[in-house]
Amino acid sequence: MPNSNDLDGLGRQAERVLRPTASHAAVETRGLVKHYRGRDGVVEAVRGVDLRVETGEVFGFLGPNGAGKSTMVRMLTTLLSITSGSAFVAGIDIAAKPDEARLRMGVALQEAGLDPRQTGRELLVLQSRLFGMTSDDAAARAQQLLELVDLTDAADRRIKGYSGGMKRRLDLASALVHEPEVLFLDEPTTGLDPASRLVVWDEVRRINRRGTTVFLTTQYLEEADQLCDRIAIIDDGRIVREGTPAALKTELQQREGLASEPTLDDVFLEATGRIRERGAGVVREVGA
Amino acid sequence: MKYTWVLGQRALREALRTPEALLPTLFIPMFFLVVNLGQAGKIFPSGTTSFLDGQNYAAFQLPSSMLLAASFGTAALFLVEDIEGGYFDKLRSSPVPRTSLVFGRLVAEVVKGLLIASVLVVLALPFGIRLASGFLGFLLLIALTALWAVVYVGFMQLIALKTRSAAATNSGGLIFFPLLFLTPNFVPRHMLTRPMEVAATFNPVTYVMEALRSLILQDLVWGRILAGFGVVGALGLIMLVLNLRMIRNYD
Repeated sequence: MPNSNDLDGLGRQAERVLRPTASHAAVETRGLVKHYRGRDGVVEAVRGVDLRVETGEVFGFLGPNGAGKSTMVRMLTTLLSITSGSAFVAGIDIAAKPDEARLRMGVALQEAGLDPRQTGRELLVLQSRLFGMTSDDAAARAQQLLELVDLTDAADRRIKGYSGGMKRRLDLASALVHEPEVLFLDEPTTGLDPASRLVVWDEVRRINRRGTTVFLTTQYLEEADQLCDRIAIIDDGRIVREGTPAALKTELQQREGLASEPTLDDVFLEATGRIRERGAGVVREVGA
Repeated sequence: MKYTWVLGQRALREALRTPEALLPTLFIPMFFLVVNLGQAGKIFPSGTTSFLDGQNYAAFQLPSSMLLAASFGTAALFLVEDIEGGYFDKLRSSPVPRTSLVFGRLVAEVVKGLLIASVLVVLALPFGIRLASGFLGFLLLIALTALWAVVYVGFMQLIALKTRSAAATNSGGLIFFPLLFLTPNFVPRHMLTRPMEVAATFNPVTYVMEALRSLILQDLVWGRILAGFGVVGALGLIMLVLNLRMIRNYD
Protein backbone atom coordinates (compact mmCIF):
# COMPACT_ATOMS: atom_id res chain seq x y z
CA MET A 1 0.00 0.00 0.00
CA PRO A 2 1.18 3.57 -0.51
CA ASN A 3 3.76 4.75 1.94
CA SER A 4 4.40 8.46 1.82
CA ASN A 5 7.72 8.08 3.68
CA ASP A 6 9.14 6.05 0.87
CA LEU A 7 9.45 8.69 -1.80
CA ASP A 8 12.68 9.15 -3.72
CA GLY A 9 13.83 10.55 -7.04
CA LEU A 10 10.60 11.77 -8.50
CA GLY A 11 9.31 12.98 -5.17
CA ARG A 12 7.42 16.07 -6.21
CA GLN A 13 5.53 14.30 -8.95
CA ALA A 14 4.91 11.29 -6.76
CA GLU A 15 3.51 13.46 -3.98
CA ARG A 16 0.93 14.72 -6.40
CA VAL A 17 -0.06 11.16 -7.19
CA LEU A 18 -0.18 10.12 -3.55
CA ARG A 19 -2.49 12.92 -2.60
CA PRO A 20 -5.91 11.35 -2.35
CA THR A 21 -7.88 13.34 -4.90
CA ALA A 22 -10.17 10.78 -6.46
CA SER A 23 -13.16 9.04 -4.98
CA HIS A 24 -13.63 6.84 -8.03
CA ALA A 25 -12.31 3.31 -8.38
CA ALA A 26 -9.03 2.90 -10.25
CA VAL A 27 -10.68 0.36 -12.54
CA GLU A 28 -14.33 -0.48 -12.78
CA THR A 29 -16.17 -2.65 -15.28
CA ARG A 30 -19.87 -3.32 -15.59
CA GLY A 31 -21.07 -6.28 -17.60
CA LEU A 32 -18.00 -6.17 -19.83
CA VAL A 33 -18.32 -8.44 -22.84
CA LYS A 34 -16.02 -9.22 -25.75
CA HIS A 35 -17.04 -11.35 -28.69
CA TYR A 36 -14.74 -12.20 -31.58
CA ARG A 37 -15.98 -13.30 -34.95
CA GLY A 38 -13.88 -16.35 -35.79
CA ARG A 39 -13.94 -18.87 -38.62
CA ASP A 40 -16.01 -21.20 -36.49
CA GLY A 41 -18.50 -18.55 -35.46
CA VAL A 42 -18.58 -16.13 -32.56
CA VAL A 43 -16.07 -16.63 -29.75
CA GLU A 44 -17.20 -15.30 -26.38
CA ALA A 45 -13.86 -14.32 -24.83
CA VAL A 46 -15.25 -12.22 -21.95
CA ARG A 47 -18.80 -12.81 -20.75
CA GLY A 48 -20.09 -10.00 -18.57
CA VAL A 49 -17.34 -9.12 -16.13
CA ASP A 50 -18.06 -6.83 -13.18
CA LEU A 51 -14.89 -5.71 -11.48
CA ARG A 52 -13.80 -2.96 -9.12
CA VAL A 53 -10.18 -2.19 -8.33
CA GLU A 54 -9.62 0.40 -5.62
CA THR A 55 -7.09 3.20 -5.94
CA GLY A 56 -3.67 2.23 -4.57
CA GLU A 57 -4.15 -1.53 -4.85
CA VAL A 58 -1.98 -4.09 -6.55
CA PHE A 59 -4.68 -6.16 -8.15
CA GLY A 60 -3.89 -9.58 -9.56
CA PHE A 61 -5.90 -10.93 -12.45
CA LEU A 62 -5.40 -14.65 -12.81
CA GLY A 63 -6.72 -17.34 -15.07
CA PRO A 64 -5.74 -20.31 -17.20
CA ASN A 65 -4.48 -19.80 -20.75
CA GLY A 66 -7.28 -18.54 -22.95
CA ALA A 67 -9.51 -17.62 -20.00
CA GLY A 68 -9.82 -13.98 -21.10
CA LYS A 69 -7.07 -12.25 -19.08
CA SER A 70 -5.28 -10.58 -21.95
CA THR A 71 -8.55 -9.75 -23.69
CA MET A 72 -9.66 -7.94 -20.53
CA VAL A 73 -6.39 -6.03 -20.31
CA ARG A 74 -6.51 -5.10 -23.99
CA MET A 75 -10.06 -3.81 -23.60
CA LEU A 76 -9.20 -1.84 -20.47
CA THR A 77 -6.18 -0.29 -22.15
CA THR A 78 -8.28 0.81 -25.18
CA LEU A 79 -6.41 -1.54 -27.52
CA LEU A 80 -9.47 -3.66 -28.16
CA SER A 81 -13.04 -2.57 -28.74
CA ILE A 82 -15.73 -3.49 -26.22
CA THR A 83 -18.64 -5.57 -27.48
CA SER A 84 -20.96 -4.48 -24.67
CA GLY A 85 -20.86 -3.24 -21.11
CA SER A 86 -18.78 -0.36 -19.82
CA ALA A 87 -15.35 0.18 -18.34
CA PHE A 88 -13.82 3.06 -16.43
CA VAL A 89 -10.16 3.68 -15.69
CA ALA A 90 -9.39 6.39 -13.15
CA GLY A 91 -13.04 7.36 -13.42
CA ILE A 92 -12.91 7.88 -17.19
CA ASP A 93 -15.20 5.98 -19.53
CA ILE A 94 -12.62 4.35 -21.80
CA ALA A 95 -15.01 3.89 -24.72
CA ALA A 96 -16.33 7.46 -24.65
CA LYS A 97 -13.03 9.24 -23.89
CA PRO A 98 -10.19 6.89 -24.85
CA ASP A 99 -7.51 9.59 -25.10
CA GLU A 100 -8.38 10.98 -21.66
CA ALA A 101 -8.20 7.46 -20.26
CA ARG A 102 -4.86 6.82 -21.99
CA LEU A 103 -3.41 9.87 -20.25
CA ARG A 104 -4.17 8.23 -16.91
CA MET A 105 -2.96 4.71 -17.57
CA GLY A 106 0.36 3.05 -18.28
CA VAL A 107 0.58 -0.16 -20.27
CA ALA A 108 3.22 -2.88 -20.38
CA LEU A 109 1.92 -5.82 -22.34
CA GLN A 110 2.84 -9.48 -22.39
CA GLU A 111 5.65 -9.07 -24.92
CA ALA A 112 7.76 -6.05 -24.11
CA GLY A 113 6.64 -3.72 -26.88
CA LEU A 114 9.88 -2.02 -27.76
CA ASP A 115 11.51 -0.78 -30.93
CA PRO A 116 14.81 -2.67 -31.22
CA ARG A 117 16.37 -0.01 -33.47
CA GLN A 118 16.09 2.77 -30.92
CA THR A 119 18.25 3.22 -27.88
CA GLY A 120 16.63 2.98 -24.45
CA ARG A 121 16.92 6.72 -24.02
CA GLU A 122 15.41 7.49 -27.44
CA LEU A 123 12.50 5.21 -26.73
CA LEU A 124 11.72 6.92 -23.42
CA VAL A 125 12.11 10.39 -24.92
CA LEU A 126 9.77 9.46 -27.76
CA GLN A 127 7.24 7.97 -25.38
CA SER A 128 7.40 11.08 -23.20
CA ARG A 129 6.85 13.32 -26.21
CA LEU A 130 3.82 11.25 -27.23
CA PHE A 131 2.38 12.11 -23.83
CA GLY A 132 2.76 15.80 -24.60
CA MET A 133 6.10 16.75 -23.04
CA THR A 134 8.50 19.21 -24.63
CA SER A 135 11.89 17.93 -25.87
CA ASP A 136 13.67 19.19 -22.73
CA ASP A 137 11.10 17.77 -20.33
CA ALA A 138 11.10 14.48 -22.22
CA ALA A 139 14.90 14.23 -21.99
CA ALA A 140 14.81 14.94 -18.24
CA ARG A 141 12.01 12.44 -17.67
CA ALA A 142 13.86 9.78 -19.67
CA GLN A 143 16.95 10.28 -17.51
CA GLN A 144 14.87 9.99 -14.31
CA LEU A 145 13.28 6.77 -15.48
CA LEU A 146 16.56 5.27 -16.68
CA GLU A 147 17.92 5.84 -13.19
CA LEU A 148 14.76 4.44 -11.64
CA VAL A 149 15.04 1.14 -13.52
CA ASP A 150 18.84 1.08 -13.35
CA LEU A 151 19.49 1.30 -17.07
CA THR A 152 21.69 4.39 -17.24
CA ASP A 153 24.73 2.42 -18.39
CA ALA A 154 22.80 0.90 -21.29
CA ALA A 155 20.76 4.02 -22.05
CA ASP A 156 22.50 4.86 -25.31
CA ARG A 157 22.76 1.31 -26.63
CA ARG A 158 20.25 -0.04 -29.13
CA ILE A 159 17.49 -2.05 -27.49
CA LYS A 160 18.10 -5.07 -29.71
CA GLY A 161 21.20 -5.77 -27.59
CA TYR A 162 19.32 -5.71 -24.27
CA SER A 163 18.69 -8.85 -22.22
CA GLY A 164 15.13 -9.99 -21.52
CA GLY A 165 15.23 -8.49 -18.04
CA MET A 166 16.54 -5.15 -19.30
CA LYS A 167 13.83 -5.02 -21.95
CA ARG A 168 11.18 -5.71 -19.35
CA ARG A 169 12.50 -2.95 -17.09
CA LEU A 170 12.64 -0.52 -20.00
CA ASP A 171 9.09 -1.47 -20.95
CA LEU A 172 8.02 -0.76 -17.38
CA ALA A 173 9.79 2.59 -17.49
CA SER A 174 8.11 3.49 -20.77
CA ALA A 175 4.73 2.82 -19.18
CA LEU A 176 5.57 5.31 -16.44
CA VAL A 177 6.63 8.36 -18.46
CA HIS A 178 3.44 10.24 -17.68
CA GLU A 179 3.10 9.06 -14.06
CA PRO A 180 -0.08 7.10 -14.70
CA GLU A 181 -2.70 6.64 -12.04
CA VAL A 182 -3.21 3.03 -13.12
CA LEU A 183 -0.52 0.72 -14.46
CA PHE A 184 -1.55 -2.36 -16.45
CA LEU A 185 1.02 -5.13 -16.49
CA ASP A 186 0.20 -8.15 -18.60
CA GLU A 187 2.35 -11.08 -17.44
CA PRO A 188 5.32 -8.86 -16.66
CA THR A 189 7.66 -11.66 -15.63
CA THR A 190 6.85 -14.34 -18.18
CA GLY A 191 10.07 -15.65 -19.68
CA LEU A 192 12.34 -14.01 -17.13
CA ASP A 193 14.92 -15.81 -15.03
CA PRO A 194 14.28 -15.88 -11.26
CA ALA A 195 16.69 -13.02 -10.53
CA SER A 196 15.12 -10.75 -13.16
CA ARG A 197 11.70 -11.71 -11.86
CA LEU A 198 12.63 -10.48 -8.38
CA VAL A 199 13.87 -7.22 -9.85
CA VAL A 200 10.53 -6.70 -11.60
CA TRP A 201 8.66 -7.52 -8.38
CA ASP A 202 10.70 -4.87 -6.58
CA GLU A 203 9.89 -2.36 -9.31
CA VAL A 204 6.18 -3.14 -9.09
CA ARG A 205 6.25 -2.64 -5.31
CA ARG A 206 8.17 0.61 -5.69
CA ILE A 207 5.75 1.89 -8.35
CA ASN A 208 2.81 1.02 -6.13
CA ARG A 209 4.40 2.75 -3.14
CA ARG A 210 4.49 5.90 -5.25
CA GLY A 211 0.72 5.76 -5.40
CA THR A 212 0.10 4.02 -8.70
CA THR A 213 -2.60 1.38 -8.80
CA VAL A 214 -1.26 -1.77 -10.43
CA PHE A 215 -3.47 -4.14 -12.41
CA LEU A 216 -1.39 -7.23 -12.99
CA THR A 217 -2.06 -10.43 -14.89
CA THR A 218 0.15 -13.37 -14.20
CA GLN A 219 0.28 -17.12 -14.53
CA TYR A 220 2.60 -17.37 -11.55
CA LEU A 221 0.49 -17.81 -8.44
CA GLU A 222 3.45 -17.20 -6.18
CA GLU A 223 3.83 -13.84 -7.88
CA ALA A 224 0.21 -12.99 -7.19
CA ASP A 225 0.57 -14.13 -3.58
CA GLN A 226 3.69 -12.00 -3.10
CA LEU A 227 2.56 -8.85 -4.85
CA CYS A 228 -1.19 -8.53 -4.84
CA ASP A 229 -3.50 -6.99 -2.28
CA ARG A 230 -6.47 -8.59 -3.98
CA ILE A 231 -6.95 -10.99 -6.84
CA ALA A 232 -9.65 -12.09 -9.22
CA ILE A 233 -9.67 -15.37 -11.08
CA ILE A 234 -11.24 -15.47 -14.51
CA ASP A 235 -12.20 -18.69 -16.21
CA ASP A 236 -13.97 -19.09 -19.51
CA GLY A 237 -14.60 -15.35 -19.65
CA ARG A 238 -16.23 -15.07 -16.22
CA ILE A 239 -14.91 -14.03 -12.81
CA VAL A 240 -15.05 -17.13 -10.63
CA ARG A 241 -13.27 -15.87 -7.49
CA GLU A 242 -12.39 -12.46 -6.11
CA GLY A 243 -10.83 -11.35 -2.82
CA THR A 244 -7.59 -11.09 -0.92
CA PRO A 245 -5.29 -14.13 -1.24
CA ALA A 246 -5.70 -14.81 2.48
CA ALA A 247 -9.50 -14.59 2.34
CA LEU A 248 -9.69 -16.88 -0.67
CA LYS A 249 -7.50 -19.48 1.03
CA THR A 250 -9.51 -19.29 4.24
CA GLU A 251 -12.77 -19.59 2.35
CA LEU A 252 -11.57 -22.71 0.55
CA GLN A 253 -10.25 -24.22 3.76
CA GLN A 254 -13.54 -23.68 5.55
CA ARG A 255 -15.70 -24.77 2.65
CA GLU A 256 -13.76 -27.97 2.04
CA GLY A 257 -12.97 -28.60 5.71
CA LEU A 258 -9.24 -28.84 5.02
CA ALA A 259 -6.89 -29.52 7.91
CA SER A 260 -4.15 -27.19 6.68
CA GLU A 261 -4.36 -23.85 4.91
CA PRO A 262 -4.51 -24.34 1.16
CA THR A 263 -2.13 -22.53 -1.16
CA LEU A 264 -3.15 -20.03 -3.81
CA ASP A 265 -2.48 -22.84 -6.31
CA ASP A 266 -5.20 -24.86 -4.60
CA VAL A 267 -7.59 -21.92 -4.76
CA PHE A 268 -6.82 -21.42 -8.43
CA LEU A 269 -7.20 -25.07 -9.37
CA GLU A 270 -10.44 -25.44 -7.46
CA ALA A 271 -11.83 -22.19 -8.87
CA THR A 272 -11.04 -23.08 -12.46
CA GLY A 273 -12.71 -26.48 -12.24
CA ARG A 274 -9.57 -28.51 -11.86
CA ILE A 275 -8.48 -30.70 -8.99
CA ARG A 276 -5.04 -31.68 -7.89
CA GLU A 277 -4.48 -35.33 -7.25
CA ARG A 278 -1.72 -36.37 -4.92
CA GLY A 279 -0.35 -39.85 -4.96
CA ALA A 280 3.01 -41.50 -4.49
CA GLY A 281 4.71 -38.13 -4.19
CA VAL A 282 3.43 -37.04 -7.59
CA VAL A 283 1.20 -34.03 -8.03
CA ARG A 284 -0.73 -33.69 -11.24
CA GLU A 285 -3.56 -31.55 -12.51
CA VAL A 286 -6.57 -33.17 -14.08
CA GLY A 287 -9.71 -31.76 -15.61
CA ALA A 288 -12.74 -31.82 -13.41
CA MET B 1 0.93 17.82 -36.26
CA LYS B 2 3.50 17.79 -33.45
CA TYR B 3 2.91 14.08 -32.84
CA THR B 4 3.05 13.33 -36.55
CA TRP B 5 6.48 14.91 -36.82
CA VAL B 6 7.72 13.16 -33.65
CA LEU B 7 6.67 9.81 -35.11
CA GLY B 8 8.04 10.82 -38.51
CA GLN B 9 11.44 11.50 -36.97
CA ARG B 10 11.40 8.09 -35.39
CA ALA B 11 10.55 6.50 -38.77
CA LEU B 12 13.43 8.37 -40.41
CA ARG B 13 15.84 7.23 -37.69
CA GLU B 14 14.62 3.69 -38.28
CA ALA B 15 15.34 3.99 -42.01
CA LEU B 16 18.80 5.46 -41.47
CA ARG B 17 19.67 2.65 -39.07
CA THR B 18 18.68 0.03 -41.60
CA PRO B 19 20.88 0.82 -44.62
CA GLU B 20 20.47 -2.77 -45.79
CA ALA B 21 16.81 -1.93 -46.45
CA LEU B 22 17.57 1.45 -48.02
CA LEU B 23 20.38 0.51 -50.42
CA PRO B 24 18.32 -1.83 -52.66
CA THR B 25 15.94 1.07 -53.32
CA LEU B 26 18.85 2.74 -55.12
CA PHE B 27 20.72 -0.27 -56.47
CA ILE B 28 17.84 -2.16 -58.11
CA PRO B 29 16.37 0.85 -60.00
CA MET B 30 19.88 1.75 -61.23
CA PHE B 31 20.36 -1.88 -62.28
CA PHE B 32 17.15 -1.73 -64.35
CA LEU B 33 18.23 1.57 -65.89
CA VAL B 34 21.55 0.09 -67.00
CA VAL B 35 20.01 -3.17 -68.25
CA ASN B 36 17.17 -1.50 -70.16
CA LEU B 37 19.58 0.97 -71.69
CA GLY B 38 21.89 -1.88 -72.70
CA GLN B 39 19.05 -3.87 -74.25
CA ALA B 40 17.19 -1.15 -76.11
CA GLY B 41 19.61 1.77 -76.35
CA LYS B 42 20.70 0.85 -79.88
CA ILE B 43 17.12 0.29 -81.07
CA PHE B 44 16.27 3.86 -80.12
CA PRO B 45 19.25 6.04 -81.04
CA SER B 46 18.88 9.61 -79.91
CA GLY B 47 19.48 11.11 -83.35
CA THR B 48 16.65 9.32 -85.11
CA THR B 49 14.15 8.67 -82.32
CA SER B 50 11.76 11.58 -82.13
CA PHE B 51 10.21 10.68 -78.76
CA LEU B 52 13.60 11.07 -77.08
CA ASP B 53 13.66 14.82 -77.84
CA GLY B 54 17.37 14.74 -78.55
CA GLN B 55 18.36 12.80 -75.42
CA ASN B 56 19.40 9.16 -75.13
CA TYR B 57 17.24 6.21 -74.14
CA ALA B 58 18.41 6.40 -70.50
CA ALA B 59 16.47 9.66 -70.17
CA PHE B 60 13.35 7.86 -71.37
CA GLN B 61 13.91 5.02 -68.89
CA LEU B 62 14.76 7.12 -65.83
CA PRO B 63 11.08 7.64 -64.79
CA SER B 64 10.59 3.85 -64.61
CA SER B 65 13.58 3.57 -62.32
CA MET B 66 12.38 6.45 -60.17
CA LEU B 67 8.92 4.96 -59.81
CA LEU B 68 10.42 1.61 -58.98
CA ALA B 69 12.61 3.21 -56.29
CA ALA B 70 9.54 4.88 -54.84
CA SER B 71 7.55 1.65 -54.76
CA PHE B 72 9.55 -0.53 -52.39
CA GLY B 73 7.28 0.32 -49.46
CA THR B 74 9.80 -0.65 -46.81
CA ALA B 75 8.02 1.62 -44.32
CA ALA B 76 5.06 -0.77 -44.39
CA LEU B 77 7.38 -3.67 -43.58
CA PHE B 78 8.72 -1.72 -40.61
CA LEU B 79 5.11 -1.20 -39.55
CA VAL B 80 4.52 -4.96 -39.61
CA GLU B 81 7.62 -5.39 -37.44
CA ASP B 82 6.13 -2.89 -34.99
CA ILE B 83 2.86 -4.82 -34.99
CA GLU B 84 4.49 -8.22 -34.58
CA GLY B 85 6.87 -6.96 -31.88
CA GLY B 86 4.13 -5.24 -29.87
CA TYR B 87 5.53 -1.72 -30.28
CA PHE B 88 2.56 -0.66 -32.36
CA ASP B 89 0.32 -1.44 -29.37
CA LYS B 90 2.60 0.69 -27.21
CA LEU B 91 2.08 3.57 -29.63
CA ARG B 92 -1.66 2.91 -29.79
CA SER B 93 -1.89 3.05 -26.01
CA SER B 94 -0.58 6.63 -26.01
CA PRO B 95 -3.02 9.55 -26.29
CA VAL B 96 -1.81 10.41 -29.77
CA PRO B 97 -4.39 11.10 -32.48
CA ARG B 98 -4.85 7.97 -34.58
CA THR B 99 -4.17 10.11 -37.65
CA SER B 100 -0.64 10.74 -36.39
CA LEU B 101 0.06 7.02 -36.17
CA VAL B 102 -0.62 6.83 -39.91
CA PHE B 103 0.76 10.20 -40.99
CA GLY B 104 4.03 9.81 -39.05
CA ARG B 105 5.32 7.16 -41.41
CA LEU B 106 3.92 8.93 -44.45
CA VAL B 107 5.71 12.17 -43.55
CA ALA B 108 8.93 10.21 -43.20
CA GLU B 109 8.24 8.63 -46.56
CA VAL B 110 8.03 12.09 -48.18
CA VAL B 111 11.48 12.96 -46.82
CA LYS B 112 12.93 9.59 -47.85
CA GLY B 113 11.29 9.83 -51.27
CA LEU B 114 12.77 13.28 -51.89
CA LEU B 115 16.23 12.08 -50.92
CA ILE B 116 16.08 8.87 -52.96
CA ALA B 117 14.72 10.66 -56.02
CA SER B 118 17.43 13.31 -55.79
CA VAL B 119 20.17 10.71 -55.46
CA LEU B 120 18.78 8.77 -58.43
CA VAL B 121 18.80 11.87 -60.60
CA VAL B 122 22.40 12.56 -59.61
CA LEU B 123 23.37 8.93 -60.28
CA ALA B 124 21.70 9.15 -63.69
CA LEU B 125 23.64 12.23 -64.80
CA PRO B 126 26.71 10.24 -65.97
CA PHE B 127 24.41 8.49 -68.47
CA GLY B 128 24.15 11.81 -70.29
CA ILE B 129 20.71 12.66 -68.95
CA ARG B 130 19.79 16.31 -68.51
CA LEU B 131 16.58 17.80 -67.20
CA ALA B 132 14.98 19.78 -70.03
CA SER B 133 12.59 21.47 -67.60
CA GLY B 134 15.39 23.03 -65.55
CA PHE B 135 15.59 23.47 -61.78
CA LEU B 136 11.85 23.90 -61.31
CA GLY B 137 11.41 20.71 -63.29
CA PHE B 138 13.88 18.96 -60.99
CA LEU B 139 11.89 20.05 -57.94
CA LEU B 140 8.66 18.86 -59.52
CA LEU B 141 10.32 15.60 -60.55
CA ILE B 142 11.47 14.70 -57.05
CA ALA B 143 8.25 15.97 -55.49
CA LEU B 144 6.10 13.82 -57.74
CA THR B 145 8.29 10.79 -57.11
CA ALA B 146 8.14 11.35 -53.33
CA LEU B 147 4.36 11.74 -53.42
CA TRP B 148 4.05 8.52 -55.40
CA ALA B 149 6.14 6.86 -52.67
CA VAL B 150 3.61 8.07 -50.10
CA VAL B 151 0.72 6.68 -52.18
CA TYR B 152 2.40 3.33 -52.51
CA VAL B 153 3.41 3.09 -48.86
CA GLY B 154 -0.16 4.06 -48.00
CA PHE B 155 -1.36 1.10 -50.07
CA MET B 156 1.13 -1.26 -48.44
CA GLN B 157 0.27 0.05 -44.97
CA LEU B 158 -3.31 -0.98 -45.68
CA ILE B 159 -2.14 -4.53 -46.34
CA ALA B 160 0.07 -4.41 -43.24
CA LEU B 161 -2.73 -3.18 -40.97
CA LYS B 162 -5.21 -5.66 -42.41
CA THR B 163 -3.04 -8.78 -42.49
CA ARG B 164 -0.43 -7.93 -39.79
CA SER B 165 1.84 -10.24 -41.76
CA ALA B 166 5.24 -9.42 -43.25
CA ALA B 167 4.85 -12.12 -45.90
CA ALA B 168 1.47 -10.81 -47.05
CA THR B 169 2.67 -7.20 -47.05
CA ASN B 170 5.77 -8.11 -49.01
CA SER B 171 3.73 -10.08 -51.55
CA GLY B 172 1.22 -7.25 -51.83
CA GLY B 173 4.04 -4.91 -52.75
CA LEU B 174 4.81 -6.96 -55.85
CA ILE B 175 1.62 -5.68 -57.45
CA PHE B 176 3.67 -2.72 -58.62
CA PHE B 177 5.42 -4.84 -61.27
CA PRO B 178 2.31 -5.61 -63.33
CA LEU B 179 1.32 -1.96 -62.96
CA LEU B 180 4.75 -0.87 -64.18
CA PHE B 181 4.67 -3.16 -67.20
CA LEU B 182 1.20 -1.96 -68.15
CA THR B 183 2.56 1.54 -68.71
CA PRO B 184 4.32 2.98 -71.76
CA ASN B 185 7.48 1.74 -70.12
CA PHE B 186 9.64 1.11 -73.21
CA VAL B 187 7.94 3.29 -75.83
CA PRO B 188 5.37 6.11 -75.78
CA ARG B 189 1.72 5.19 -75.42
CA HIS B 190 0.83 5.78 -79.10
CA MET B 191 3.39 3.15 -80.14
CA LEU B 192 1.88 0.38 -78.01
CA THR B 193 -0.36 -2.31 -79.47
CA ARG B 194 -4.04 -1.46 -79.11
CA PRO B 195 -4.76 -3.74 -76.11
CA MET B 196 -1.66 -2.48 -74.30
CA GLU B 197 -2.56 1.11 -75.09
CA VAL B 198 -6.02 0.60 -73.60
CA ALA B 199 -4.53 -1.06 -70.52
CA ALA B 200 -1.99 1.75 -70.14
CA THR B 201 -4.71 4.38 -70.49
CA PHE B 202 -6.62 2.86 -67.56
CA ASN B 203 -3.49 2.44 -65.49
CA PRO B 204 -2.96 5.46 -63.18
CA VAL B 205 0.80 4.82 -63.07
CA THR B 206 0.91 5.76 -66.76
CA TYR B 207 0.07 9.38 -65.98
CA VAL B 208 2.67 9.63 -63.25
CA MET B 209 5.28 8.13 -65.54
CA GLU B 210 4.35 10.45 -68.41
CA ALA B 211 4.56 13.46 -66.11
CA LEU B 212 8.00 12.43 -64.89
CA ARG B 213 9.13 11.75 -68.43
CA SER B 214 7.91 15.08 -69.70
CA LEU B 215 9.92 16.84 -66.97
CA ILE B 216 13.07 15.07 -68.15
CA LEU B 217 12.62 15.24 -71.93
CA GLN B 218 10.66 18.45 -72.43
CA ASP B 219 10.20 21.89 -70.99
CA LEU B 220 7.34 22.33 -68.52
CA VAL B 221 4.34 20.69 -70.18
CA TRP B 222 1.73 21.60 -67.60
CA GLY B 223 -1.00 19.37 -68.96
CA ARG B 224 1.14 16.29 -68.43
CA ILE B 225 2.51 17.52 -65.11
CA LEU B 226 -0.90 18.32 -63.68
CA ALA B 227 -2.26 14.96 -64.83
CA GLY B 228 0.55 13.23 -62.91
CA PHE B 229 0.03 15.29 -59.78
CA GLY B 230 -3.74 14.89 -60.12
CA VAL B 231 -3.48 11.10 -60.18
CA VAL B 232 -1.11 11.07 -57.21
CA GLY B 233 -3.36 13.50 -55.33
CA ALA B 234 -6.49 11.45 -55.93
CA LEU B 235 -4.84 8.14 -55.08
CA GLY B 236 -3.16 9.74 -52.06
CA LEU B 237 -6.49 10.96 -50.76
CA ILE B 238 -8.04 7.51 -51.20
CA MET B 239 -5.13 5.88 -49.38
CA LEU B 240 -5.31 8.37 -46.52
CA VAL B 241 -9.03 7.84 -46.04
CA LEU B 242 -8.65 4.05 -46.15
CA ASN B 243 -5.66 4.12 -43.78
CA LEU B 244 -7.52 6.28 -41.29
CA ARG B 245 -10.54 4.02 -41.44
CA MET B 246 -8.34 1.00 -40.92
CA ILE B 247 -6.48 2.45 -37.92
CA ARG B 248 -9.68 3.66 -36.28
CA ASN B 249 -11.20 0.19 -36.52
CA TYR B 250 -7.97 -1.58 -35.62
CA ASP B 251 -8.52 -4.06 -32.80
